Amino acid sequence: MKNYNVVGQSVRRLDAAEKATGTAVFSSDFTLPGMLYGKVLRSPYAHARIVSIDTTEAEKLPGVKAVVTYKNTPREIFNTSATMTFTVPALKPVLDQYIFDSVVRYVGDEVAAVAAVSEKLAEEALKLIKVEYEELPAVFDPLEAMKPEAPDIHANCKEGKNIIGEIIKIPMGDVEKGFKECDLVIEKRFKLPIVKQVQMETQAAVAQVEVNGKITVWSTTQTPHPTRMILAKIFGVPNSKIRVLNPPYVGGGFGVRIGLSAKAEPIAVALAMQAGKPVRVIYSREEDFMASDTRHGGYVTVKLGAKKDGTFHALDLKAALNGGAYCSFSTETPGVLGAMGLAVYRIPNQSYYGHSVYTNVTPAGAMRGFGNPQAMFPIESVVDMMAEELGMDPLELRLKNIMRAGDPWCLPYPCQSTGLAECIERGAKSIGWERRGSLNQPGAKKLRGIGVGVGTHVSNSWPFCVDYDNAIVTVQQDGSIHLASGVPDIGTGTSTALPQLAAEVLGVGLEEVSLTFGDTLSTPFDIGSHASRTLYAAGTAVVAAAEDAKRQILEYAADFLKVSPERLEIKDSLIYITGRELGEDCAGTGVCKTGEERISVTLQELAYHAHLRNKQFIGVGRIVPENAPPWHAHFAEVEVDTETGQVKVIRVAAAHDVGKAINPVIVEGQIEGGVLQGVGYAVSEEIVHDAKGRPLHNSLHKYLLPTAEDIPEIDAIIVEASDPSGPFGAKGVGETGLVPTAGAIANAVYNATGVRFYEIPMTEEKVFRALSAAKNSTC
Amino acid sequence: MSSKILTFTLNGETIRVVVEPTDMLADVLRDKLNLIGVKKGCGQGECGACTVIMNGDAVTSCIIPALKAEGAVVETIEGIGGPGKYHPLQESFMDLGAIQCGFCTPGMIMSAKALLDKNEQPTREEIREAISGNICRCTGYVKIEKAVSTAAEKIREGK
Repeated sequence: MKNYNVVGQSVRRLDAAEKATGTAVFSSDFTLPGMLYGKVLRSPYAHARIVSIDTTEAEKLPGVKAVVTYKNTPREIFNTSATMTFTVPALKPVLDQYIFDSVVRYVGDEVAAVAAVSEKLAEEALKLIKVEYEELPAVFDPLEAMKPEAPDIHANCKEGKNIIGEIIKIPMGDVEKGFKECDLVIEKRFKLPIVKQVQMETQAAVAQVEVNGKITVWSTTQTPHPTRMILAKIFGVPNSKIRVLNPPYVGGGFGVRIGLSAKAEPIAVALAMQAGKPVRVIYSREEDFMASDTRHGGYVTVKLGAKKDGTFHALDLKAALNGGAYCSFSTETPGVLGAMGLAVYRIPNQSYYGHSVYTNVTPAGAMRGFGNPQAMFPIESVVDMMAEELGMDPLELRLKNIMRAGDPWCLPYPCQSTGLAECIERGAKSIGWERRGSLNQPGAKKLRGIGVGVGTHVSNSWPFCVDYDNAIVTVQQDGSIHLASGVPDIGTGTSTALPQLAAEVLGVGLEEVSLTFGDTLSTPFDIGSHASRTLYAAGTAVVAAAEDAKRQILEYAADFLKVSPERLEIKDSLIYITGRELGEDCAGTGVCKTGEERISVTLQELAYHAHLRNKQFIGVGRIVPENAPPWHAHFAEVEVDTETGQVKVIRVAAAHDVGKAINPVIVEGQIEGGVLQGVGYAVSEEIVHDAKGRPLHNSLHKYLLPTAEDIPEIDAIIVEASDPSGPFGAKGVGETGLVPTAGAIANAVYNATGVRFYEIPMTEEKVFRALSAAKNSTC
Repeated sequence: MSSKILTFTLNGETIRVVVEPTDMLADVLRDKLNLIGVKKGCGQGECGACTVIMNGDAVTSCIIPALKAEGAVVETIEGIGGPGKYHPLQESFMDLGAIQCGFCTPGMIMSAKALLDKNEQPTREEIREAISGNICRCTGYVKIEKAVSTAAEKIREGK
């Protein structure tokens, strides 16, 4: 394996000191002189027409500087997610939102907003706004919403009642014929919950509108450049007059702000325009729960057919997802669900049919894994059932059927690498797979079980969506390096790993590189942080920019050292002639005599030498990423308390093929965090609505996400099946920790109890009831 | 209700600040004293991001009325260490990859510090209990737990 100096090293994060001392600035910390505070009035009804809205009393309250409703804000239709800037023709983005509308479509929908000199005054003013509603019939379940008698939530559904955008169909081979040729077919329907990202920083934006019309927005977006495009469209302002930036830190994302941070940005801008002063809008935690994108819940059906020897021969996958009241990523999510669900196993006959459905709940959008967890809990459950029916070891069955490099698959790019077999082998060893089946004593009240789940993912969204990156590497006059990339760092370590790539390519120490990121004014266009793409795709642009700069450096150095550039290399900021003993070269001492023969030169000396001759080395990277599949196998050991129904996850061995870990500790952190979110998805997290469509889980107290007291032992295992398309062989890892976890846990619960769950989360109540029912049916 | 002057010790310094009776401690620290290391993730005492140490105990400052701090000794992340003299917890959080988005980090460190101030040899369970009120959605807590136990070791060795 090639030795690198900076790549592959677990260097301390470059943002660690700021974050450990409390000096790191986030959007919600950001203030400007004269700044006002914005607050939003939200709908108490799941579906209603606004008959009248009277803001006069609110406007009269001293200290109130702006009140906005659908009557005095742009009637420009948009979509809060970045899909309106991503969608590749011939597909068209679904646009169905206004900043405010005269119809509200979920509990929490925006009705009006106020800017005042204090947050308390703004809240007081909201209470003075008089709104008369006419309630409309509402529907909350996607299957109910497709029935003819259901209310129409939007008028734009072409494919069927309340169906959002296009129905995604992925055909491969001939499934009908395929199933006829199978010896065994299993078909099951699964129900999936609505869950939430619960990133630590709620949606936030600070907007400033200058007298010359220039707009600056500091916000929590994961995609500053596309967000600028969306704001430009809403407010009818040229892209070039808007600046969107992170301040520079973002308190997590997990998909919730790919595009706008819910509506924080446009509401802040609308208020700032009217007030003529900067306005800050920070969502409360309750607002974040109610009025920013959730993960799609819904229904997924898996039909899997196999030959007697265990060879998978046909797979039919169907999904009807709950898209909520507006389209965020409601066409892309079922697309990824299908594409990833079909890409794990080599099955000649496959088909997928999936879509989202409008309902009167909070819009569903992107969340870590993006449809893939919704595919893999059902698929991996059915694969386990198939193993049992065939009398095969679940690992053996998987190893027999998993995709191999070069296999044909449904994706529009080749499978160039897979370390899945190695993931399975190393994960099985870590968990002690051979202990399976001998974990419990007869009569035990607490039952142990071990289960597995595997999968793949993407390393960016091309060619499904627009996906390109630019980066600029500027060698400063003192030889230090400035790197500009438009991606944000939402916590994933981008602002450390990208400089690591640049340092490695340029042959300089990491301390020589500084990065500007997450700012549309000072960085070139970049799609942003989503689709596990940031390191892989933005990193590819950084490598290209660094290589371009290096080429310029070596060309200049070749003249300087009077050799051809091919003979030169850079290490520790010293440019030297390869194959020549450096010996007593003067470059290291910094005192070279005029006319002395030079065999090396420091980057510092060379850059200044160039500067005195009116030249600077500026490398530009402009790339369209390929795509590459990361692979993973999770093994979970659980303990089910048969008396309480509690599922305790004891241990998770999480083996991930990441291609190349640029910073292994950061990679482990991505895996561990994903695993714990997956544990929550499997056993405790869900948002349920009452009969009026009001969410019952709208605070951290009510929404049961894992705390430090719930953590299993996690063994994050890094497998490196290098992919030729990624920077130094790297593939995506940001989302993958969540993808196979629920499936592995559900299979472990079955292994422990003999009871199969077709619905998550496996809460105490559900497990207790299911165990009781199983007991009664066997008595 | 009229404004009052609150006097308390903040990061070793005596502070006098005008507050409203309805002000919460987190808002006074953030908005009036510019200590942005006190994060607000929920405003309901449920996420732990605003954790500070008051009279030796970790408290969620977003639900503590500011006037409750009258005469109290309050420590925030800004007061425990910095370049050149980092607190062992800050060092181990930085070195062991316990920081991702960083929004929970100050509160997490303050909860851990309140524990280690009283107990330099905490068990795994005691560490988990001490930080169980601090939500982190990025790390899975694995490296945080390790950072706290490593800091405890460092503190013990330093004596």
